[in-house]
Amino acid sequence: MSDLILETEKLGKVYKLGGRQIRALSDVNLKVEKGEFVSIMGPSGSGKTTLLNILGCLDRPTYGKVILDGIDVTKVSERELYKIRRHKVGFIFQNFNLLPYLSAIENVELPMEGTGKSKEEKRKRARELLKLVGLSEREKHRPLRLSSGEQQRVAIARALANNPAIVLADEPTGNLDSKTGYEIVRLLGKLNIDQGTTIIMVTHDSHKAAHAGRMLFLSDGKLLAKEKQGKHLLKKELICPHCGREIQPDDTFCPRCGKKL
Amino acid sequence: MKALGALTRAVKNVSRRKIRTFLVIIALSFSIAIMVSIPAGVIANQKATQGISEDYNKIISDIQKEINKTATLIEIRASSGRPSAVPSGAPPSGFGQRGEAFINETVVDEIRSIEGVKDVVPFLEVSSEETTNETVNTPRGSFTISRPLYTIIGVPLNSSLIDSYAILPTNITAGRNLYEGDSGVLLVSSNLSDYLGVGVGDKVEVYGECFSVVGIYEPAGQAATEVRTVYMNVYTAQRRTVYMNISDLQRITGNVGNTSRLDVYAADASYVDGIAEVIKTAYPELYVTTYKDRLQNLERTQEMYQTTLENAESTLSQMQTVAFQEIVIVIVATSLIVLFTMLYTVRERTKEIGILKAIGFSNWNVMSQFMLEGILISLMAGVVGIAMGIVGAPLLSSLLLPSVNPFPTQQQGFPGQTVNFGTALSQSVTAVPDLQTILLVFGVAVALGAVGSLYPAWRAARTSPMEALRYE
Repeated sequence: MSDLILETEKLGKVYKLGGRQIRALSDVNLKVEKGEFVSIMGPSGSGKTTLLNILGCLDRPTYGKVILDGIDVTKVSERELYKIRRHKVGFIFQNFNLLPYLSAIENVELPMEGTGKSKEEKRKRARELLKLVGLSEREKHRPLRLSSGEQQRVAIARALANNPAIVLADEPTGNLDSKTGYEIVRLLGKLNIDQGTTIIMVTHDSHKAAHAGRMLFLSDGKLLAKEKQGKHLLKKELICPHCGREIQPDDTFCPRCGKKL
Repeated sequence: MKALGALTRAVKNVSRRKIRTFLVIIALSFSIAIMVSIPAGVIANQKATQGISEDYNKIISDIQKEINKTATLIEIRASSGRPSAVPSGAPPSGFGQRGEAFINETVVDEIRSIEGVKDVVPFLEVSSEETTNETVNTPRGSFTISRPLYTIIGVPLNSSLIDSYAILPTNITAGRNLYEGDSGVLLVSSNLSDYLGVGVGDKVEVYGECFSVVGIYEPAGQAATEVRTVYMNVYTAQRRTVYMNISDLQRITGNVGNTSRLDVYAADASYVDGIAEVIKTAYPELYVTTYKDRLQNLERTQEMYQTTLENAESTLSQMQTVAFQEIVIVIVATSLIVLFTMLYTVRERTKEIGILKAIGFSNWNVMSQFMLEGILISLMAGVVGIAMGIVGAPLLSSLLLPSVNPFPTQQQGFPGQTVNFGTALSQSVTAVPDLQTILLVFGVAVALGAVGSLYPAWRAARTSPMEALRYE
């Protein structure tokens, strides 16, 4: 039985710019199974973000299909798309995109608005999520009083608020220093293993992409045929990419081989 | 719960830009204060005009009644009987300096012998030696009038005359009325008694001679005091009056044998015109007024009132037009303030709109978020503006509406007298917004907040999330 959560068929996006046609994506066929952690790599301008925006229903393809959790989202009207965004997709952005005037917990509660949950339920769920990303102590802090890494953790918690079918992370480490970037990628890996969250992460950093279970390559809007398997999540646990031994999500250096993670 | 979350965010958003919010609220509050004040000003003027109109009608009707009672009365005066008030700056006039004319008592017997005359009642009316300065405030400034402190009326204390005709006041509040044979005593009007602080049994010096107060009376209504005045006047302060025996008054003022007014009563109303004609022919220097003259005077007064009221109504209608135009301008201004503030806010928060839409906010969620903020601002401005309006309504309405005084400053035909018809009106006009206006304006303010933020909110809702997220 197929356990596909996301499938695209001949997905294409063409922009018109000053009379010129720019082919941002062409004939992208992608299949992601439930519980997968997929990273999409590619240089700048390869169409990574365009693909992610289409998958996350922020943008429409020029042609092709996107089937998300059994729904062909290309056929869903603009007015109804918000429901897909709310219930099926969790977004993580490069620059976190938290609302500056809300506290961490309020930011996490935000996507639950309009879902029929009571205030108490929302608060309870937001607390659980903040605990999951290790920010229980910081729930009352506003984004400006949090470090970049903490802000991205809040954003991850927010993305998980409605228990989405898929989490889309657009360069989630792009605005973070290397150490914090690895922490975030490992946190995503942990969520993928522990919670079974399906994650698609776009990055141009091959080291970080390697933390995913599957690495895909995008070039000039085309998904390349070559596909790599990530080294460390094969055993469904966190493994040091250098020595292959088990590590913890918060580790910066491998406790066995001592190399930087 | 959803609305509560949106409201919480709206409050946070509005409060985090304190200076901008403060300035916008101040600007809106002024508009709202004007919205409160202008109708209050118009309503106050409408009520005042209506009140004056009712007062005028009552006075006219009272005068009519009084005139009807005096169908057989022919009034003869030695002078025109104009009130003796003079404008500020002129030297205070004393008795005898105005060149007052008198009627010799010999004339009384001659008139009594005319066919059809039933009775002749002589009066001597003189002003007190003391004068008083009174300040009258009008919208065109205040001025001082100097007038005698009181008027002394000498009446013949003959019981048959007292019983037959209304020659003495009837409303005695303390002591007693004057009787036949009384001498050296006074009947004092209550306003004079209050002014001088004298009561029954007290002594009052009049023209150098001491008199005892035997009674105090309450002056009759304005109409009754005016009915005998040839030049009727709407606004006359109630006169302070003293009644005494005519012989006493003649003696102390050195007017023995003189009277200033004769009330001639015909045996029947049909004789009145004939008697008046005979008197006019025989004594051309005297002022003779009959029922007909009084009616004519009443008509003149009515015409004057009518003109005054028409002026008032025309000013009111002009005021209503101006008020309407100003309200429209204020409504447009309020909407524009909200519109531009919210447009700026939407533009400034484009990225936030993108975030909200990316995490699953519907167009309606986004739209209601911004509308709620617009309404919240106008709600706060509504409270402040209404408070400002309540306090500042008199000032704002006087600044924004045409001149409140619809009456001419001076009535023609009263040389030497400046009685302002507008005084009574202007003194009663205080623009106080009523609850209905306040609630209406509050509703309008909130509605304008909603209307003004409708387009910006709609634009926000229509923003593409992807483009909004790219916005820096």
